Order: sequence, then C-alpha cells, then structure tokens
Amino acid sequence: MNHWDVIIIGAGAAGLAAAYHARSTGASVLVVNKSLVGRSGATITSGGGVSLAGTSAIALGLDGDPGDTEEHFLHDTLRAGAFLGQQDLVEAMVRGIGAEIGRLIAAGTKVSVTPRAPGHSSGRGIRIPGPSMQSAMTAAALRAGARFREDFQSTTLLTRDGTVVGVAGLDRRSGQVEALYGRSVVLATGGSTSNWGLRTAPEELSGEGHLMALDAGAELIDMEMLQFLPCCLVAPDMWRGLQFPWILGPQSGVRAWLLNRYGERFMARWDAGKMELATRDVVAAASATEVREGRGSPNGGVYLSWAHLPRDIVDHFPRWSHSFSSDWRWEGFDMTTLVERIRAGHAIEVAPAAHFSLGGVRIDVRGQTGVPGLYACGEVAGGLHGANRLSGNAGAQVLVQGKAAGVHAARFAAGGPSAPPDRADNWDRAAEAIRAPLLRHEGVAPSEVKRRLTTLASGALGPVRDGATLAAARAELRDIVANGVGQMACRQRDGAWNRDWSDALECRAGAAVLEAALIGAEQRTASLGAHRRHDERRDGESSQPPQPLQHGLVRRAGAVLEHRRIPVAFTSLAPA
Amino acid sequence: MLIRLRLGRGGADEPLWREYRLPPPLEAGIAAADWRETSVSTVLQYLQRAVDPALAYSLSCRRGLCNVCAMRIDGDVRTACTTAMRDGIEVEPAHDKLHLRDTVVELSLVRKARIAGADDLP
Repeated sequence: MNHWDVIIIGAGAAGLAAAYHARSTGASVLVVNKSLVGRSGATITSGGGVSLAGTSAIALGLDGDPGDTEEHFLHDTLRAGAFLGQQDLVEAMVRGIGAEIGRLIAAGTKVSVTPRAPGHSSGRGIRIPGPSMQSAMTAAALRAGARFREDFQSTTLLTRDGTVVGVAGLDRRSGQVEALYGRSVVLATGGSTSNWGLRTAPEELSGEGHLMALDAGAELIDMEMLQFLPCCLVAPDMWRGLQFPWILGPQSGVRAWLLNRYGERFMARWDAGKMELATRDVVAAASATEVREGRGSPNGGVYLSWAHLPRDIVDHFPRWSHSFSSDWRWEGFDMTTLVERIRAGHAIEVAPAAHFSLGGVRIDVRGQTGVPGLYACGEVAGGLHGANRLSGNAGAQVLVQGKAAGVHAARFAAGGPSAPPDRADNWDRAAEAIRAPLLRHEGVAPSEVKRRLTTLASGALGPVRDGATLAAARAELRDIVANGVGQMACRQRDGAWNRDWSDALECRAGAAVLEAALIGAEQRTASLGAHRRHDERRDGESSQPPQPLQHGLVRRAGAVLEHRRIPVAFTSLAPA
Repeated sequence: MLIRLRLGRGGADEPLWREYRLPPPLEAGIAAADWRETSVSTVLQYLQRAVDPALAYSLSCRRGLCNVCAMRIDGDVRTACTTAMRDGIEVEPAHDKLHLRDTVVELSLVRKARIAGADDLP
C-alpha cells in the first residue's frame, strides 16, 4: 500500500503523539523518518522536563503546588517569551498537557516530579528522561498500529489543486526517489539548529520541514527567534556543545564565575544582582557580546571558573544533584578529566550553543497551517514560546500539539473524497529537483556548501546580531544559493547510502531556513528576548523607543521570500 | 595518524580492511591540535567529505544517547561519537549479520511495523 489517510513526517515525541492520536481515530497512519525511529531526533537528547501546572499535577495524583494554577503557568510562559508567544497556543498547551501526561502514566511510563523548575514561579512539572520519553511514545504509536518508513528523507510536499496529498523524498537505503500519498500530512520534523556550528541538537535537524511548508504556501513565524544555551563546551572537538559546565555551574545555582580574557566578571554589566545566575538568554547574549567585542577566549568563547571556590566543593556535587553521578559519567562521556581541570583551578572555555528553534511553521491550535491538508506540531512549529522558552515547555508542546495535529489531520482525511490520492500536480518537478545533485557531474561538493551555510549562521545569527552583519550575510547567502546550492554535484554516483546526496538535500533546506531567519532578524531592529541587536544596545539600555509587539511572517512569493508583520493578539494577558 | 576500517558496500561484498592515513587535523579543516581530541565519528565524517565520498556511516546525537552510530571499535561495540580517536584504531560493522553498508548495520527498533521501499512493494 502506498497511500495513507495521514502521513506524519518525523518520529520524535511530536510526530509519534500525532501518529498515536490519528491512528486512535481509525485513520491509517504512516510515520516517515529521515533516520531510524527511536535513534534520531531531539526528543532523545532532552533533559526530560515536561511543564505542568501544580493543580493539574494534583489532579493526576502527583505532588504539586495547589497554588500553582493553569493561569500562573500561562502567565509565566507569556512573560518569559517577552509577550511574543501566540497566546491561544500557550493556552492550549497549559490546559491540554495534564491529559497527555495522564495517558503516559496510565501506559506505565515512570515520571518524577520536578522539585524546582528554573524560570517558573513554582516547582512545576514532571521529568521523563529523553530516551524514556522516546521509547514510551514509540511503543504507543506501535501499539496503536502506526506503520513506519525509515531512512526516508522527505523533501517536497506533493499537492493537487492546492491541497497537500503526500510527500516526495529520497529512500536513503535504496537511492530511490519516491512519492508517498496521504489524504493529509503532518510536519513533525523538529527544529533547524543543525545549521549552526556550535549546537546541542542532533545532526538531522536541518529544516526540511520548514522548506516543505514554505514551498507548499505556508508561512513561517518569528524565524529570527532561536534559543541558545549558554556555557556549553567549545573544546575539545569531541565535547563541543555539551552543556556540562552550565549544569555544573549556574544551572545548579553554583556560583561559578564567567570571565572574559581580561579576567573581568562581565555579567556585572548585564545583571549586577544575579550575575551568572541571570536567565539563559541574558547569559548567552552577554557571553556572545564579549566575543564580538574582542574580549573572548582563544576558541571563540569566554571562561567559566570555579577557582574562587574551595577545591573540594565540586566533589560533593554528585551527592546533592541527581544530574551527576559519582564517576562523572555525563551522557555518553566520562568527564573526569574536565572535572580534574576544574578542581585544579583551570578556567573552562564555554560559549552559547544553538539549542531550540523558537520560530517555525505558523499554526493554529488545531495544528493547521492554512494550506489544506497540511498540519505541523512540535519544534518545527513556531509561535508558542515567543521570544524565549521556559524549561520543560518543549516537552509539553510536543505532546499537546502532536495530539491536536494528529486528531485534526485524521478528521481532514476522513472528510475528503472517497478515492485516495494517487497523483500530484508537482511530482515530476519534485523528483527532478531531488535527483538534480545526483545527476549533475560537475559542480560543488555538498559538504562545502554545508560548511559555508554553517559559517554564515554562526557569524550572523548568533545570540547578538547587527544590521551590517545581517546585510552582508544576506549577500553571502545569495552567492551560496546561486553558486553553491544551485550547483551541487554528488561525487558518488550510486544513490544508495549516499551522504553527498543527503547533504545536498539538507543544504537546500538550510539555505531557506537561514534566509527566513536573516530576513526576520533584519526586520526586527529592536532587541526582544533571544533576539539581541548589538547595534541597538547602549550599556544594557535600549536606544530606541519601545515598538508595538509584532510577529514577523515569511512566505514564498515565486523565487523570493516575502516578509510581513502582524500585531501580537493579547487574548489572555497584555504586557503590564 | 592511522585509522583502519573494515568496509563492505553491501550485497555479496564481504567487508575488507582498508587503511587511511590522516593529515594533521588543522590541514583537514578540523579545529583540533590532535586527532585524539576528536571522536571516531568526526574522523568518518572527514573521510567521507575529503577522501572517500562513498563511505557510509550513521550519526545523530553526537553524545552517546541515540546509539545509531554503534560500531565495533578495537573489538568492542561502542558509539563512535563518544569514542576518542587513537593511532591505529580499528573500526568494523557492529554485527556482520546485520551489515548494510560500510559501518552501517540494521539497528531499526520498528522492523515489524516497517514498510520497505518501492522495490519491495507487492
């Protein structure tokens, strides 16, 4: 069978939640994943927080703060996002998450209650470690009867008379270019942070979902908004992007000092009260500013130092923090040598790493994109978090939005014509474009294009931006598109397991994502949350009068991307 | 710096040992003073990009959580992303019976519910 009621692209928690709920309505469901299901995507790498109001936790029989209402959760989220969050999406998350956690618990998933949730006004939420969340969601989708297509790189939505009827892509195992037909399609492809050099995200988050949405006529919202995690390792190469120093320091409330190359505690210029314990976006922006202004460390970061603390204090961390084990295993690594360096009084080089795409495909509370038959959920979807994301809110987002997109995609499928879709208006063009880099004999190696895109993103779209750099980056991107993306040639002719080919298709997506982010960043001339304009900052004070809060929307108009603004709707809470 | 890989391109092709001698990392475009600061995954990525475009490998989280990069390294199955490079290191498919191509083996967790490609459709 090659036609389905609902096709879901992506098999992290969002896609699998969509699969479970769509299948539960009786729809036939195919989950398509670029790599292996349960061995890829950002869900596995999650710390596992899932935000939940205290009252919702109590209703589930868990420990919770009875004074922590859904309204408190809603307001915390909106304030943290600098009021740029789409309030109807936030409200749906706050109200809907209890039922989804209840379903996980009923299925036997172990959850622990979060004693202290950073940034929230209350100890709020539960914790399901990323790998456990991934396997629980995979098991639920399997039990519900979803089917899977693995190592299939989706690149283009198939449409007929303006309605999405499937997806075209590359089977990486066989090298075949194929069409998969469905009455509706859900994008759950995750963020686009693998286009940045220093990142916490897995390799495959390159933004194919964003490109597919744009090409089908959907809009992207607030694409300049990207969350950076401060104090990630920049060296050695094998440990790049690890959050270990942040967790061993400020995240745990430990008074480690951030220093620039002159030994100044530069956080004093940003938040003299909280210093290193300021919020993540402030610490990230401050660190990036030091580097930009020439006060950084040799590997493009700043220093984090524990040297003013008694040397043995670090030995006690594993006793009071469950984040650490006594043998200093951290994720898949043995961090003993790093801890020894810290104990010996050495400073550790750290920098902000791209962590989470706050912007993305514009959706409503049903996961609808405005394009008939096309839905989106999870990190590929934008607008929920606004200009910054609270810890645990991505966990709540994927479950609630996954359900909404799955249910409504299944309803759309059930309401369509009785004959299943089996052809599209754009299949020939889509297949030709997918095959182009494989068939081109002379050209640019895809990995070279990838390198240029990563360099561009890291330079122009870090935690601090400025107009001149953004304008130069747009010119550079035009050149990359004309002489790079448009000229990519695989050096390997066999289509199966062809890295060059996969890289080429990822570069097409990366170029579109970065163009949308550059346009959004240029247009947003005032700092807001995670988007910090260096050319505006004057000793922490804005030099511009406050502007009305607006979303930036990007859509495709022929060969170019078009930007427009709409006001933020304050349906629940207006900025004070 | 030397890496030995036992590679096979699939089908009846029996994986065979090949040796690759690496230039200094900075010449290879890797920001490290020594290859020993990098992981086996970084070396495989470099080899595919610069030396052997046909080389197949899997990589996702780069921090030992997803296990998609499991390979037999110096005799033991480990994640390549968390294994530091060393001179003379030997890398093989994790399991010959599950071999697909080069270092890639079948690690699917959903095989029973999987739809194969167009060639295999009834």
